[in-house]
Amino acid sequence: MAVSTMLSITGTGAGNPFTGEFRPLGLFESKFYERPRKPYSSSCMNGHHFPRHKCIWRLPSNRNLNSKSKDSSLVLATGKENVSEDTDDMYDELFNKYGKVVFRRKDQKPQSAEVDDDAESLSFAVELANVASQVKAADIKVLFVKPLVYWTRFFIITTAFSRPQIDAIGSKIRDLAEKKYGRVPSGDTKPNSWTLLDFGDVVVHIFLPPQRAFYNLEEFYANATPIELPFENQPPFRG
Amino acid sequence: MIQPQTHLNVADNSGARQLMCIRIIGASNRRYAHIGDVIVAVIKEAIPNTPLEKSEVIRAVIVRTCKELKRDNGMILRYDDNAAVVIDQEGNPKGTRIFGAIARELRQLNFTKIVSLAPEVL
Repeated sequence: MAVSTMLSITGTGAGNPFTGEFRPLGLFESKFYERPRKPYSSSCMNGHHFPRHKCIWRLPSNRNLNSKSKDSSLVLATGKENVSEDTDDMYDELFNKYGKVVFRRKDQKPQSAEVDDDAESLSFAVELANVASQVKAADIKVLFVKPLVYWTRFFIITTAFSRPQIDAIGSKIRDLAEKKYGRVPSGDTKPNSWTLLDFGDVVVHIFLPPQRAFYNLEEFYANATPIELPFENQPPFRG
Repeated sequence: MIQPQTHLNVADNSGARQLMCIRIIGASNRRYAHIGDVIVAVIKEAIPNTPLEKSEVIRAVIVRTCKELKRDNGMILRYDDNAAVVIDQEGNPKGTRIFGAIARELRQLNFTKIVSLAPEVL
C-alpha cells in the first residue's frame, strides 16, 4: 500500500539540485501534485508550517491513512512507526540546510544558463535601444525588470513625437530583430499612441509624450535597475 | 462565463466601478465570454468627477472570472469576482493602473499592456 515517490527539491538560495525520497503512506497520484509556480514559491513554506493545498503529502486523508495503518496492520509498522515525526525531522534538517524549500519545475535552467540568457537579452535590448536612438526616439530607458516580474527580463521605454515616428521606430526594431536575431514580436502592428512590441524577454514600449506622462510606467517600475546605455553619454548633435 | 446582463467589477482606476455586459465581441452569436475576451459594456456605477460617466458604453477586457480557467498543465484558476479592465478602441487601457491579480493568458491574447500595468500576474 505504501507508495514511494521521488520528489526533486531545489534550494532557493544555492540553486544546486538534490533529490530526496519521501515515503508517505497511502495512495496518492502524482497528478494531484500542483507544483507551485514562482509567485507562490516564497510563500509556500513559512518556517515549519506546511499549507495544505501546496504540500500534498501532508493531506489530512494521508494522515488518516497513517493512523489507521498504524492501528490495524503490523506489516507496515516496521520501520514506518513514526512516519510523520521522521519526515518532520527530515524537513527540519532540510530547512536548516537550505532555508526555504521550494519545488521547481524540471524544465528549469541552472543558474549559469540563466545568467547567459540574461546577458543575451541585455545585448538584444541594448541593440534595440540603439536602433531606437538612431531614429531619434527620445528619453530611452532600459529597465531590468526580471526581479520584479517573472514574465519578462527587460523593458525598453521610449518616447516618439508623432505616429509616423512611432511607425519608423517600430519597423526599424522589427527589421533588426528579424534579420539579426530571427525573432518576430507580438503586440501592436499598427502605430498606436502606446505601441508595444513583445519579444518575450524584452518588451518595447513606444509612447507619445502625453501617453508617457499618463501611464507613467517608469514610476510603476521604479524599483527596476536602469541599464546604462552606451550612446547616452555622447554629446547631442548641434547643427 | 460572462454573458449579456452580467455585472462586473472594474479592476482599474479608470473611474468606472461597475459594468454590465451588453455584447460579446468575437462571433455573431456567442453565448459566454471568458478571461481575455473583449465585451461591450455599459457603466452602471462610476466614481464622481472622472472622465467616465454612468450609462456610457465602453469596451472592456475580462481579467477575472468566477468560472474556472483551466490550463493545459492541470492548473485551475478561479477568482472570487468577475472583473474587467476598460479599454479604448485601440486597445489601450483607460486607466493607468490595474488592481488585483490577473492571469498570464492575457499576454498570449495580446493584452501585454494590461499585463505590464498589473501588480501581480498568475
